[in-house]
Formats: sequence, structure tokens, C-alpha cells
Amino acid sequence: MTLIAERVSMRFGGLVALEDVSLAVPGTGIVGLIGPNGAGKTTLFNCLTGLSAPTSGRITLGGRPLPADPAEAMRGGVARTFQNIRLFGEMSVLDNVLVGRHSRIRQSLLGALVRSPGFRRSETEAAERARAELAFVGLDPDVRRPAGSLSYGDQRRVEIARALAGDPAVLMLDEPTAGMNGAETAAIGTLIRGIRDRGIAVVVIEHDTKFIFSLCDHVHVLVRGRMLVEGPPTSVRDDPRVIEAYLGTAEC
Amino acid sequence: MTLDDAKVLVDAPGGRHANPARHRPDLLAWAGAALVLVGALLPWAAFVLPGGAYPDRATLQFFDAPHLVSGFRLHLVLLGLAGLAGRARRPAGIGVVVIAVVHLAFLIGLGAPSAGGPVALVGGVLLVWRRPAVPALSLPLPGRVLAWPALLAAFAGLLWLVSATLTAGGQSRATNPHGGAEFLAFCGFAFALVGVLSAYGVLTWLAALTQRHRIFAFTVMLACALLLPVTGAGTGYWMTVASTIGVYAATAIGLNIVVGLAGLLDLGYVAFLGIGAFTAANLAHSVPFPVAALAGAAVAGFFGVVVGAPTLRVRGDYLAIVTLAFGEIFFRAAQNDIGGLTGGVNAIPGIPPITLFGQAFNQPVGALPGGFLYYGLAVLLVAAAMVVLVNLKHSRTGRAWEAIREDEDVARAMGVRTGRAKILAFLVGATMAGLAGAVFAHKLGTVGYESFDFSESVTLLAAVILGGMGTVPGAVVGASLLFVLPEKLREFSDYRLMLFGLALILIMRFRPRGLVSSS
Amino acid sequence: MATLAQQIVNGLVLGALIGLIALGYTMVYGIVQLINFAHGEVFMVGAFGAHFISLYVLPEGVPWYAALPVMFLAAVAVSVVVAMAMERLAYRPLRGAHTLAPLITALGVSILLQEVVRVFYPGATAPLPFPRAFPDGSLAVGPVTVLWTGVLALTVAPLLGAAVHLYVERSRLGRAMRATAQDADAARLMGIDTDRVTLATFVIGGVLAGVGAVLYGIHYTQIDTAIGFQNGIFAFTAAVLGGIGSIRGAMLGALCLGLVKSLAGQYAWGGAQYDYVWVFALLILVLMFRPQGFLGRPERVRA
Repeated sequence: MTLIAERVSMRFGGLVALEDVSLAVPGTGIVGLIGPNGAGKTTLFNCLTGLSAPTSGRITLGGRPLPADPAEAMRGGVARTFQNIRLFGEMSVLDNVLVGRHSRIRQSLLGALVRSPGFRRSETEAAERARAELAFVGLDPDVRRPAGSLSYGDQRRVEIARALAGDPAVLMLDEPTAGMNGAETAAIGTLIRGIRDRGIAVVVIEHDTKFIFSLCDHVHVLVRGRMLVEGPPTSVRDDPRVIEAYLGTAEC
Repeated sequence: MTLDDAKVLVDAPGGRHANPARHRPDLLAWAGAALVLVGALLPWAAFVLPGGAYPDRATLQFFDAPHLVSGFRLHLVLLGLAGLAGRARRPAGIGVVVIAVVHLAFLIGLGAPSAGGPVALVGGVLLVWRRPAVPALSLPLPGRVLAWPALLAAFAGLLWLVSATLTAGGQSRATNPHGGAEFLAFCGFAFALVGVLSAYGVLTWLAALTQRHRIFAFTVMLACALLLPVTGAGTGYWMTVASTIGVYAATAIGLNIVVGLAGLLDLGYVAFLGIGAFTAANLAHSVPFPVAALAGAAVAGFFGVVVGAPTLRVRGDYLAIVTLAFGEIFFRAAQNDIGGLTGGVNAIPGIPPITLFGQAFNQPVGALPGGFLYYGLAVLLVAAAMVVLVNLKHSRTGRAWEAIREDEDVARAMGVRTGRAKILAFLVGATMAGLAGAVFAHKLGTVGYESFDFSESVTLLAAVILGGMGTVPGAVVGASLLFVLPEKLREFSDYRLMLFGLALILIMRFRPRGLVSSS
Repeated sequence: MATLAQQIVNGLVLGALIGLIALGYTMVYGIVQLINFAHGEVFMVGAFGAHFISLYVLPEGVPWYAALPVMFLAAVAVSVVVAMAMERLAYRPLRGAHTLAPLITALGVSILLQEVVRVFYPGATAPLPFPRAFPDGSLAVGPVTVLWTGVLALTVAPLLGAAVHLYVERSRLGRAMRATAQDADAARLMGIDTDRVTLATFVIGGVLAGVGAVLYGIHYTQIDTAIGFQNGIFAFTAAVLGGIGSIRGAMLGALCLGLVKSLAGQYAWGGAQYDYVWVFALLILVLMFRPQGFLGRPERVRA
């Protein structure tokens, strides 16, 4: 399934946050979205995850319009993580991942009340899947601690496992390496490639350009609400407009 | 003790080398324990008081209270001995202090204090002061062969504790003028007992066992609860008190779903109990009880959805105010006899007792006391409510509720249709309260609007918070405390709400997860 | 027609009194985002403070113009002390605690204060007559009569509201308040002592509640321990109606609320017995459909 934004604009009152931005996330591969602070990355991210509806333009997933509702977007196949980690802190790690699986679990209220065989089967299946995702991101599936008590890096991994548990077609990662050191960043890079290899498209927002250029198959550069350049990392990296945009912001 | 929130036990025993008392005996602490023991043997009253805990000034009569094992001298001896062991020192000391302070207060009130009280008090303070800093022991989990008897013993002990606490101090001031003192002192001992067990990791261990053998534990617990009538608490009076507690406990569990699991603060929850009660009361003369009960539950559930509907647009503090407004609307409407359904200030009198298979529930059955059937029904109601809470908590729905409580925006982003989930929480909670309300109406025989005012909502909320939000035994423990205490301490009834208010403030400040929660 | 005009005036008097409490709600919410449920009790203890001074301290036969200022002072003093104590002892330790904790604490404070007064204040288990510290009689304008106490309330309340508005707009502390309301963290970084600002907000709320309490007492001539809770809910409704955080909004909302209660009691289904129900219904509708109120800014959704 491809996630496509066509000529998306977003205005808040008089402020234009996005103007005529188009972007296509192919069925597989890693797409990077970079840009200086205030370029509109987060606004675009919010549109692509159903959090806000664009003022004009349209967003489609697999040919159908993406509902402007995060819950429905997730059900449609767009999962996300958060820049400043937002786990369900008092719930166990496993329960966090199980919430990510929520929309794919079929259970009736009555079945849950009497713990019917069908209910128990679905619980077991869901738990197995959640454990598998925890193992996939490199965590011990048997951890019973509250998610909030994990280390920062592990919390990021739980967030990714939680998003993956919902069988997404597209995984949106909002600054997945924020606050991490070199080794941790590299490990996350490996993890993201592993996700791509499972056939899930990944969109990564970062302002750390080095990480994006080494990781992505395709890079978009957003500057002042407009899509400045897009293309493979090698060509984007050497594009004078990109260099100017970054140097320009670096000066002020 | 939590049934479902048991943390996996940490392997490292930790305490072994960190215990200074092991290397260097703490003389002051030992002195404290000795003082407690001496205090237990000294006379407590300066002259002979009639009845109660001080039948004479005799020093060696441990078993002097009306109930064999609940005499305070025996408690002091036990706690003094426990104070010799490092881990038990702090809870034992607190128990001693409570017992001594309560008795001293009453004895000073009577102008008859003697040496025993002050000596024990000093000993208790020493014990609390000289507590060693040792983490709780962690015990290995045994196999089924050991686990089942352990659980049986634990719940039998719990049954004894509940029965003894209920009956401590007798049932009214008329029969025992020192009832309040005896009861409070016994609470001090019970608290110390639980504290000592907790310090040795027994409670965590039991919680883990309960978690592992959930069905067995639940069956045993149910059986123990149903055995209460054959203990010392098996009189018509205590059956009535216990069944009232049961009704409120079931309601509190329903509220726990809304507040504890889904994190939606409901300040008008008692209205659902009222709606169930009034519905059943209006139907009582025309349909059999099960139909009336289901109708009460259904109508309450319907109103639950109505009250829950604003959650689609309103969040957090504002939602609490909306529920408060709904609660007040219900109260005013009931007060004004809306549609002739509530009887207004005259209430609805003459609701017949529940009758099934020709047996009226308020009559004694065989040798069992009157009200036993209501008690049994209340126990089943609480058990059903617990099952609902536990089973839903460990399901897709329950996880969605908890996710909403933790972070509603993220829950949405994870595919949870939060609006539906929140309304469902209100629906389930209100239905449970409605069912409880139907029993409430039949049991009391009369229903009036005063039973459903704001302070009742606060009491239920306090029960949930006191016990620990989201935990299963929490609501039961909380409801028991909040409805037993006023019953036992009628001389303090004026201060009841004041103490609730204070308790809410203090718990939010010092134990926001409740008294029962282990973390 | 005469009834309508009379009910409008009655509603406005009630609204003016509620407005003084609503200001406290709205300012505290603006600064610390706390629904200070117990603010109604600050008003209540103020009324009892004035009652106490008048009944037990002032000698008999003191003329009203001497007694009234003393009662105002007593009410304000009691209200301010209680408001400061609740901020320091109950709310401040909870900053940054989980979301339900402050509201539940506020509930606890409210119950505690009500019960302390009910149990320990002599005779407070039943409604107490409030001293008549203002001339009896009324102002007649055509068919409408307004008690002189009502005229006083209608004069003092808007003046105080305007004074608070000016203070917040013009003074140094007012500027610090507005900064804290906008962004407490940034304000702290700019060197504003936000703890002090918060405390000052509670103090201002206490002053207004104390003044309101005396005006309420002399107008309605009796007080009980429930007046705080009841009028507190009304005041909260008014604050939300006007846009919580907005000072002008609180006054405006209170006047609207007073009108709704008095007109609904006269004309709506169920009559005066149901006037509370209409106020609560109004509260629910406002929270659902215009939670930002008349003059408030819509809340931004967090990403």
C-alpha cells in the first residue's frame, strides 16, 4: 500500500505551515523527511497519521482517502511513534504492545466476561505476537515491569514494537534517535532496516541529516513549508539548495 | 494484597547482608520490646471498670475480652515478641502505639489511666524509632502441592480476621461502653499483623500465588466469604451490616472500572445505584426479583451511556464536573419526585423482601441467622463484580481503558476508538451499580433520595482511592473500611465525612496508589 | 411584565455575588490549571468569619456602618488565610502529580472545610441567621423593588471585578500572573517566582470570596455550611460559561447564570424546585459544546 500526499496545504489562521506539499511513500523502503526546525515536518507528520486534516489537498492510503482520525488511520495501516516517548507508563511492557495490537484483536465483551475458548485463543495469539515484536526490537519478551521504568533507549524500542504490533503498512517514526548516542543510533538504524526487510514502509523524520542519508532509500527535504528537494540520498546530499537551506538556518 | 497487580518477585534477597541488627544487637529496640511485654502485664486501669476490656485490674489475665483471641493484652504480648525480630519491628511498633494510644485516650477520658498504657506506648515508640532499614523478604513460589494449602490457610486466616474485626467491641455502645476502643485497638493489631506479614514478603508471595492459581484462589475466597455466618459474626445484625457493605463494595468495584481502569473521574456515580434502586422499587410489586434486578441494571446502564456521552467531547477535570452535574440533577429530580417515580421526600416504602422459591430473604434459614440469604446474595454480587473487573481488565477492552487512562491521544493513535471505549466503561460501571441498587432497594425495604446524595458518591470514590485505583481487592477493602468504620464508631459519626475529606487529601499526598497497592 | 423585570433584577443580584466567587475560580484555573473545587468553601468560611465577629466579638448596639467594615475585614481575613493554607498545604505538594490527584484533593479539602465548620462552629448544623448589617428596606423603580443589600451587591461586585481586571492588566504582579498563565515554565526561566504568583492568586481569590460572602449574607440573611458548595458549583459554571481564565468572562458568565436560574425558576417547567437542574443542564451543555466559553480561547489539542 502506498501512502500519498497530494498538494497538501495547512494553514493556521494566517500562518502557512505547509504549502502544496506532495510526497509518496512506496509500499516498501525507507523514506526520510528532513528539514530545519519549523520547516513543517511535524505538521506534515500529523497529516499523514490522521491527527489533523489538511486545509487543502488530499492524502490517500492504498488509493483510498486517509481518515482524519488517528484511530482510523492506525486501523487503515499507518502506525507511528512519538518524538518525546509516550508509552503507557504504568502498564506493563507487554500490555503496551498489546494495546498496539488492539485493532487487530477480535474479542466480544461477553467472550471476555466468561473467558470463552475463542477469547482465550485470541488472547494467546495476541500475546504471542506481542512477545514476537518485543523480541524483534531486541527486548526480553518476559519483562513484567511497568513500561515507564525502562531505560530511555528501551522505551523507544517498546514504542516501535507497539506500533509494529498493529500490522502497519507504513510505520512513521518521529525522530527515533533523539537523545541517543552514536552506538544507540546505529542500533536503531539496523532495527529500521530490519523493519523494511519485513516489507513495511518506514517514514523517518529527523533533523540529524547524517543518519537519514545513511539509512534512507529516498529523502525529502522540507523547508519553510515547501518541499524543496527530493530524491535518493546521494543526490539530495549534494544539492546546493539543501546545503544553502541548512547553512542558512545555521547562521541565524 | 493485590490479586492482579502482583509484580514478579525479584530474585535478589538483598536483606541478608544489609541487616545491621544481625551484627550488632540493637539494645534500645530490645528494650522497647521488653517494655511492650511488661506493659502487657501491668494494670491498665486504676480502678475496676464494669464490662469491656478492663473487667478487673488483674495483670496476668490475657484472655479477658469477650472474644478469646481479641484481648488487647494478648495482642501486646504477640507484638512485643514480634518486635524482637528486625523486620517486624516497625509494623509491630505501630500496632502497639495504636493500641496504647486508643486505650489511653479512653482510660484518660474515664479518669482511670494506670501504668500499663504509658509503658507500652514508650515501648512501641522505641520499636518504631529503632526500625532497621531492611527490604522485604522475597520467598520462592512453591508448586501446587504447597500452594493450595497455603492459599486455603491464608483465606481461612483472612476469614478469621474479618470476623474478629467485625465483632471486635460488640455491636453497639449499649452492650459495651468501651466498644469503640476495643474495635480501634483491634484494628491496630490487625494492621500490625498485616504489616508484619508484608515485611516478611508473605503478602507479595500470597498475591503471586493467587495470581498463579487464580481460579482456585477465587473459589476458596468465595467459600470463605460464604462461611462468615458460621463464625462469631453470624448474627442477624452482622449479616445485615455485611450485606450492606457487600452492596456498596459491588458498586465501588463498578466505579473502579470507570475511575480506576479508564481514568474517568465520576463524581455522580451514586446516581446509578439510585436509578437501579428506584427502578426495582417501582417494579417490586409487579415482577419477580430477577426481572426487577435486570430492569434496574438495564435502566442504570442506559443512563450510564447518557452520562458517558459527553466524554466524546469533554475530558479530564471538565468531565468530572459534568458527572457531578448529572449526579446533582438526579438528586434534585428524585427529591422532587419526578414523574411520581421516586416518592420525593416520602421515599418509596414497603418494598417486599426478595422471595425466591418461597423463601423470603429476610427470614432465617434453618440454624443460619436471618439476613444470611441477603449476605449470600451480596457475596455473590461482589464476586460477580470482581469477575467482571478482572476478566475485563485482562482483555482487549480493559487494556484500551488503561491506555486511555494513561494517555488518551496515544491510545487513539494506537487504533483505540476511544469514544466507544469510554462510553462502554460508563455502561458497564453503571449496569453494575444498577444491579447493586436493585438488591439495595429490596434489602432496605424503603428507598429515598437521601441515600444518593453527593457525599455518597464521595464515599464510594474514597473507597476506590483508599483501596487503590484499578485493583480488584482494593475496592472491597476500601468499601469495607468506609462502611464498617461508621458502623463501629458511632460515637464519632459526626466526624465521618471530615475524616473522609482528610483521608482523601492525605492519600493523594502520601499514597496516591491507595493503601492496598504494594508499589 | 413586572414579574419578568423583578426576576431579571433578582437574577442580576445573584449573578453579581456569584461573579465574585467565579473570579477566584477563573484566576486559579488560569494560573495552575486546577479546578479549585474548594474555592466555594473559601467563600463559606468567610461568611462564618463575618458571622463570628459580629455575634461574638462586636459589642451589641454597634451601628451598621461601623459593623459592616469590620465584618468585611473579618471575612476577608478568614477567607485569605484558608485559601493560602489550602494552596500551601494541599495543592503545592502535588505539582506534577498524576492528573486526578489535584481534583480529588480539592474535593477532600472542600469536604474537610465544610465538615470542620459544621461540627465545630456553634449552631452550624442548621442554617444560621446572618446579622442585619445594612439598612433594611428597598429601592423601588416602577414596579421593581431591589433590597438595598442587592443594590450594594450590584455596585460593589462590578467595581471589584473591574479593579481586579485593572490590577492584572497594569500591575507588576499582574504581569507576572499573565506570564505564568501563558507558560509557567517560561515564566520561571524569566525569573518569575511562580510559587509566589500562585499564592497571590489564591489570596486575591480569597479577598473576593470574603467580600462576596458578607454581601451574600446580608442579602439572603442566612448562611449554612452548604452555601460554599452550592454557590461554588454555580461560580464554576459561570467561570466556564464566560471562558475559564478570562476575568471579564467570569463576571459576564455569572450574570448570565443568575438570569438563567431566576428566570428558569419562574418560567421553566418544574418551577423553582427545578431551577438548580436548569443551571446544571446549562453547565453540561456549555462544557460539551463550547468549553472555551464566551471569551476564552479554544484549547489546543496536543500532538
